[in-house]
Amino acid sequence: MSAATMSRQPGFANSSIGRALRSSWGARVTSYFAFVVAWQIVGASFFRVPTPWETLDFIWREVSGGDHGGVRPGQFWEHFSATVPRFAIGISVAFVIGVVVGLLIGSFSFVRALLSDVLLVFLALPAIIWAFLTVMWFGLGWEAPVYTVILSAAPFVAVNVAQGVRAVSPELRRMSDAFGVPRNRRIRSMLLPAITGYLFTGLRFAVIIGWNAVLLAEWFGAVDGVGWRARLWYDAARYKGFVGWAIIFIVFIFLLDGLVLSPLQRRAFRWRASPSSDLKAEVGAVDTESFTNTAIGL
Amino acid sequence: MATLQIEKLTKTFPPHSKDGRPVRAIQDISFAMSGQVFVSLVGPSGCGKSTLLNIVSGVDSPSTGTVTVTQDGKKARLGYVFQDSRLLPWRTVMQNMLYVSDLPEEEGRANASKYLEMVGLGHAHDMYPGQLSGGMQQRVGIARAFSVSPDLLLMDEPFSHLDAITARSLREELQVMWNATKKTVLFVTHDVMEAVQLSNRIITLAHGGTVFDDTTIELPFPRKASDPEFAAQQAEILGRFETMELERTAAKG
Ligand SMILES: Nc1ncnc2c1ncn2[C@@H]1O[C@H](COP(=O)(O)OP(=O)(O)OP(=O)(O)O)[C@@H](O)[C@H]1O
Ligand SMILES: [Mg+2]
Repeated sequence: MSAATMSRQPGFANSSIGRALRSSWGARVTSYFAFVVAWQIVGASFFRVPTPWETLDFIWREVSGGDHGGVRPGQFWEHFSATVPRFAIGISVAFVIGVVVGLLIGSFSFVRALLSDVLLVFLALPAIIWAFLTVMWFGLGWEAPVYTVILSAAPFVAVNVAQGVRAVSPELRRMSDAFGVPRNRRIRSMLLPAITGYLFTGLRFAVIIGWNAVLLAEWFGAVDGVGWRARLWYDAARYKGFVGWAIIFIVFIFLLDGLVLSPLQRRAFRWRASPSSDLKAEVGAVDTESFTNTAIGL
Repeated sequence: MATLQIEKLTKTFPPHSKDGRPVRAIQDISFAMSGQVFVSLVGPSGCGKSTLLNIVSGVDSPSTGTVTVTQDGKKARLGYVFQDSRLLPWRTVMQNMLYVSDLPEEEGRANASKYLEMVGLGHAHDMYPGQLSGGMQQRVGIARAFSVSPDLLLMDEPFSHLDAITARSLREELQVMWNATKKTVLFVTHDVMEAVQLSNRIITLAHGGTVFDDTTIELPFPRKASDPEFAAQQAEILGRFETMELERTAAKG
């Protein structure tokens, strides 16, 4: 029997299960499954690590307003609805400031000379510093979380936008010069679309960093909100509560990315949907590239 | 009809490397053109043709000398067709046309449609440049330049990236459009045949950016390459090119 016919024999590698496992979807499911198993083992062996089931049970009680066994009933929505507006306002303001500063730095070399070191300092400052400072300035309340989000997220938008502006093709600039295209039209139709990839990278950074920032600031400087709630469980030494909230935070970011940011990004890149190109691959390529660039730029 | 006047123009670029010498793209160019003329600028690669167009269009500034473009004493409007189409990839064909328009929205659309129709792209308003072939993109570039009703139309090797057949049909279309509009055109090309086919006048630049030769072509339009007089004109200009190369080799020693 020749080698060629041997390899055609049905075997595990060619069975449908084998193929499903090797597909990227299968690989993902496998990795989640392995994670949960590992977690279960660790949770069952150490008292201070809650098991997946305990954690899930906690999340359900917290979200449905159920009984936590004496401490307090679940209050997910109350705190979630306190945090989301802070986060949303902070991110929106950070985005606007970041875009304006980024455009200025990218367009004018003297602004760049003026602000690039300042920007570096802002990028290097961890959100926790802003959380402490804003609590000192504003006391407990909604201000500290909002300002912490703005101060920690805006610089990431600004660097990315500045980088995008500097990457705009000189040929298109010259074309616009030659036809005497007015400045505001140039910004709207040439500059902003040209930097969309960078804008999205900036926005994604801003969302992740801003979410961290709002949690930190609420942990130290608020009297409600999800950060404050997570701290409540931490202070009460209720491990499953703390881990449960950590999972909620992660799920929130995943949902935000999958349900809001990715569809927005696809919409913005409609023009790339030419028959010959794979939209997702191209958008992905832009992203990783500018992510790496930013990482190097840091 | 515009008047273009170039006097003692020079252009020096800063050195490409730190201890290199400055690049003299244009040494000393003077010529004038005016009215319903189609003038071709031919010359070897690197002799400063694109630089000259950029200065005329105001995108670059002269080092010394003056360039004036006037239209009945006022500042003239310019159209520019580039070697590559230079369309905004994220805007549709129609949006690309409107990008350079200074007419009110409705009028701008009607005007753009008219010129897209003229280049045979009446059906492509809502397509993105990435969905068009190179020839179609270049057609949009041509329609865009005509659509601003330029007094002076600048064209920088607009057909050199296209295959011979597409280039030929676009050349014919350009001829038709020029006959219909009689713009003042300054057209840059490498291709002597293209220059002889399209122009009233051919200015030859030499290496180093000087005017080597300036000839008027009297043949009637439309011109056919198979016409013996056409061939004679072409041969004559090519002959001058050879002289230029010979002089250059001789000068080098
Ligand atoms: N922005 C610039 N900076 C520095 N040097 C330049 C610049 N633009 C052009 N040059 C130099 O000027 C010279 C003339 O360039 P130009 O592009 O005008 O040539 P060209 O005649 O259009 O050539 P081609 O036929 O190949 O397009 C070249 O040596 C080029 O390197
Ligand atoms: Mg050129």
